[in-house]
Amino acid sequence: MTEPTGILFNIQRFSTEDGPGIRTTVFFKGCPLTCPWCHNPEGMECQAQTVWQASLCMGCGECVEACAEGAIQATDQGISIDRMRCRRCGRCVDRCPGGALELVGREVTLTELLDEVRRDEVFYASSGGGVTLSGGEPLMQAAFAIPFARRCREAGLHVALDTSGFASVDRMAEALACVDLVLFDLKHIDPDEHQRITGVPLDVVLANLDRVVDAALPVWVRTPVIPGYTDDVDNLRGIARLLRERVPTLERYDLLAFSNLCTGKYAMLDRPFALAGEALFDAERMESLCEAVRAEGIDVVRWSGPTRSALSEGSLA
Amino acid sequence: MTDSLTHRRGDTFGLWHASARLSDRVRRLRDEYFAFRERDHFRNEVMPFGTGSSWDRVFCPHNWTVVPEMVPFLVGYEDTLAVCAKPVAFDEQLYNRPLPLRRAEFFASVIERHLPVQILDGELIVGGQFNTALSLTLTRDETADYDHQEQAFLAQLKELDHLGVGNCGAIPGHLIPNYAKVVRLGLRGIVDEIEPLIEARPDDVEGNALRCGLIRVARAARRFARRYSAEADRLAGETRDTMRRGELLEISRILQKVPWEPAETFHEAVQSLWIVHMLIMAAESYPGPGLSPGRVDQYLYPFYRSDIEAGRLTQARARELIHCWWIKHNYAYDYQGRVGNNQGINSSFGQLITLGGIDADGNDASNPLTWLMLDAIGELNLLEPKPNVRLHRNTPPDLLRKVVELVARAQGSPFLLNFDEHSMEGLAWQGLPRELLWDYAPVGCLENTLQGNDRSGTVDVNLNLAKAVELVLFNGRDQATGRQIGPKTGDPATFADFDAFAAAFGVQLDHLVDWIIDVNNRADAIRARFAPTPFLSLLVDGCAESGKDITAGGAEVNLLTVEGVGLATAVDSLLAVRDAVYERERVTMADLVGAIEANFEGHEKLRRMLAGKCPKYGNDDDRADAIARDVSRHWTERTRRHVSPTGKRYRGGYLSWNYWVAYAPKTSATPDGRKRGTYLSNGTCPVTGCDHQGPTANTRSTGKLGLETAPNGDSHTITLSPSLLRDDEHLDKLAGFLRGYTTEGGTALQINVIDPETLRAAQADPAAYRNLLVRVTGYNAYFVTLGKEIQDEIIARVSHGA
Repeated sequence: MTEPTGILFNIQRFSTEDGPGIRTTVFFKGCPLTCPWCHNPEGMECQAQTVWQASLCMGCGECVEACAEGAIQATDQGISIDRMRCRRCGRCVDRCPGGALELVGREVTLTELLDEVRRDEVFYASSGGGVTLSGGEPLMQAAFAIPFARRCREAGLHVALDTSGFASVDRMAEALACVDLVLFDLKHIDPDEHQRITGVPLDVVLANLDRVVDAALPVWVRTPVIPGYTDDVDNLRGIARLLRERVPTLERYDLLAFSNLCTGKYAMLDRPFALAGEALFDAERMESLCEAVRAEGIDVVRWSGPTRSALSEGSLA
Repeated sequence: MTDSLTHRRGDTFGLWHASARLSDRVRRLRDEYFAFRERDHFRNEVMPFGTGSSWDRVFCPHNWTVVPEMVPFLVGYEDTLAVCAKPVAFDEQLYNRPLPLRRAEFFASVIERHLPVQILDGELIVGGQFNTALSLTLTRDETADYDHQEQAFLAQLKELDHLGVGNCGAIPGHLIPNYAKVVRLGLRGIVDEIEPLIEARPDDVEGNALRCGLIRVARAARRFARRYSAEADRLAGETRDTMRRGELLEISRILQKVPWEPAETFHEAVQSLWIVHMLIMAAESYPGPGLSPGRVDQYLYPFYRSDIEAGRLTQARARELIHCWWIKHNYAYDYQGRVGNNQGINSSFGQLITLGGIDADGNDASNPLTWLMLDAIGELNLLEPKPNVRLHRNTPPDLLRKVVELVARAQGSPFLLNFDEHSMEGLAWQGLPRELLWDYAPVGCLENTLQGNDRSGTVDVNLNLAKAVELVLFNGRDQATGRQIGPKTGDPATFADFDAFAAAFGVQLDHLVDWIIDVNNRADAIRARFAPTPFLSLLVDGCAESGKDITAGGAEVNLLTVEGVGLATAVDSLLAVRDAVYERERVTMADLVGAIEANFEGHEKLRRMLAGKCPKYGNDDDRADAIARDVSRHWTERTRRHVSPTGKRYRGGYLSWNYWVAYAPKTSATPDGRKRGTYLSNGTCPVTGCDHQGPTANTRSTGKLGLETAPNGDSHTITLSPSLLRDDEHLDKLAGFLRGYTTEGGTALQINVIDPETLRAAQADPAAYRNLLVRVTGYNAYFVTLGKEIQDEIIARVSHGA
């Protein structure tokens, strides 16, 4: 029997923003949603992608020589990668002396990944942390992600699933059987808007949220607050009402302030970023949205993320 | 809620300032200290005292040779201090007596009659001027001999420094005198132990000369304290403030009694401790280098508790006494105060206090005084005394949480965190009996010692480990000078495999260890022969018993420490050679050496590959970390084979002080892609920017070094972004991290919590950020007083960490 493998774009140790305690967050590639603000755009595609970072490039041309497919060209604007031709062999990455070329997405076996996440076991135990499956949408790689979550649980690790909520109900049920906590994204309360901005129907997401409640799992619901998309106070009020009525296992409700730190990542992936140049919120705005949510009876709301003043990243206990 | 956010931001992100809770008295005393330019009524600047003889020497260059920046100026210091020396009546007959007795007599005269006595308005703990330069009281012939030996040592020292191998010297301080005994028994109690030794050993002429000297200086200290008592009386008679008069009369009473008699109250104990501490600084003529009070929350606690229980003392008064006492330590810097900014890193002496830790039964030893002192650290916002907290597996969660809050509040800078289990393992490896280890404490920056009986010579020898890489590449030649300074280990291009390269590295490293220790042995012997310090010997167990001065190896525990500099630079160089030359065959050895010879000029592609594409220490990569462990154990085990002429065994440690900057231009380019001049790595830290896996991975790499073979203690610094400590939830995460560090990490950790914007702002506007403390290589420093190079390095580290 061959061991299952998954394709990841990052394994982040000492992760402090993806659940309780100190965690290792495993970022799975591939996502069925198409949210234009996605701050991990390298998680959207299922396959590995070759990316080029201008600031690290020496302009030596080694990569052009290395590519057997002729997919790489040196242009006036720097290195251009023909993504139709690129076979993701990594030869250019290996040859690049400055580290400007990188293959985003690597294949790992279950055993390798388990060995990696167990390295910080002591810190999970000392801080009440564990492992978080994130992405992308981890359930896009359910055949790998679910056995991985199960093996983590068997090893005594606390497992959190960070999900968009978009998966078949059966797949979600299977996953919920091997996690301790769900970080559940809920972006918009209006079905049409939800379909329009995320590309997937809201009812599937809500049905899966019901499964989480049925499984009696603690859940941290999260809403990215995005200018022009989800930041309408009525949207947040609507989500808050739904949480009050339908999610008795809610432990936290997090408002994640829009971040533009991903602008460079979009450029590297040759993807347009619809929110490039969009301003950050100020802390007062985030605070007033929290107030609106509280007014609907959700006291466990807090916000985090970058805001206009560099030092004001904050949240409320 | 908005209020709470504002408050929280103010606490977590605002610059650390002195607390608004300080009493008016303490605030005034604190401000007075900082008024360097205006404070004409009191300065603790160096006061030289001599015999008046034409050949007199009042300054020992070997005390300062680990500060290479000073070496060119040593002659100037020596001459100006000699010219300025105030003559002290010195009976010619004394030249016939053994030197320790002579030195005792001279020191006694100085403190009985000459050292100024001055009490500042409002202070409760007194004892002000302690910065001296004291005559060596040598005869003319001894002086000639001393000069000859010192010059021979200096010549070798300068060569080591010039070649970038390292530096060494017989450095004062860096120990914990038996203050616990002084407060408990008084100097009288110590004298009472010495007198029977003299009677019992009438034939031990030399030993008894020292013992008589010890008694002489103990009695002088009593007279010195009484001079302060008299001054307090005088001031009490002058003041119209009845409250102050009462305080002065109490000070006068206390100094009639201590340090000669045992202390009976908390105030007496603190005063006894300070006056003795200050006199040791005077006796060693060096203001506070690592002269450390040790576990003050332990040995002062009985006094605190009984005063509180008896209703003699309130917590508020105890707090004020602690504040008054701690402000005094900062006067060690007074001679630098008016010189201006950019003192460089010498602005940190390191009078280290230790809080918390375990007791003799292995249980947590913290007590109410621990908590009070933690509060006082947060309130005072001062450089000295430098605080250390001993953490262990059973540190109570609330205490750990308190420490984390202070770290967050004070930009992380004030604390050294010492980890008991790993620290004690090192001291056991070094050969100390396990049953004594629970009571260890670090000195200076982070150097572990026992209390009251241990002179471990920390920072006496500082060795650039990365130099051995250069010597392998150039077959034993120093690249800059072309001189053959190491053994000929062969042309590296002829090495068959990585093992051959590693073996040659080991040979070069052994040579450097042996060489630098050989030079230091001279300094150790010079100090032992020409510069005994009886007053310090009085306060360190073993000296009276053995009849040997502490400089001659009289203490119960005698060690000398070699501090390794540039560990990760050396390790990453070996890793790059293994990976790029022997495994992936990306470059031939000949080409690599050629590129390094050219300082990578014209070889940028190769340099970038070496810097960016080869394995690096600090990422929890077992294969890379195994090499680091081999290197660390290799040189520390070699070091441990050596014993100095005065019987002091050498041991290893990692405190790179500022040498990772100083030796950067004196080390050739290295195979890790570093150019000549780029800083070496610091302590046990990875090369700046080379740890990509975050603090837990970095910590585990440190843990894998097997640091028991570097028992001195190991400087590991991590930098956290303030956003990581922005609320209670995240403070709990940091507490969890520290708990995990106990088993996963090294012996000591410092955390800087600071964002690059704040540092850049401080660089641009030093005046507005005068109290911004950062932690560098194990010591605190005011950021704005650091040289620009080191400021930039800190900003680079912070930017990477954030």
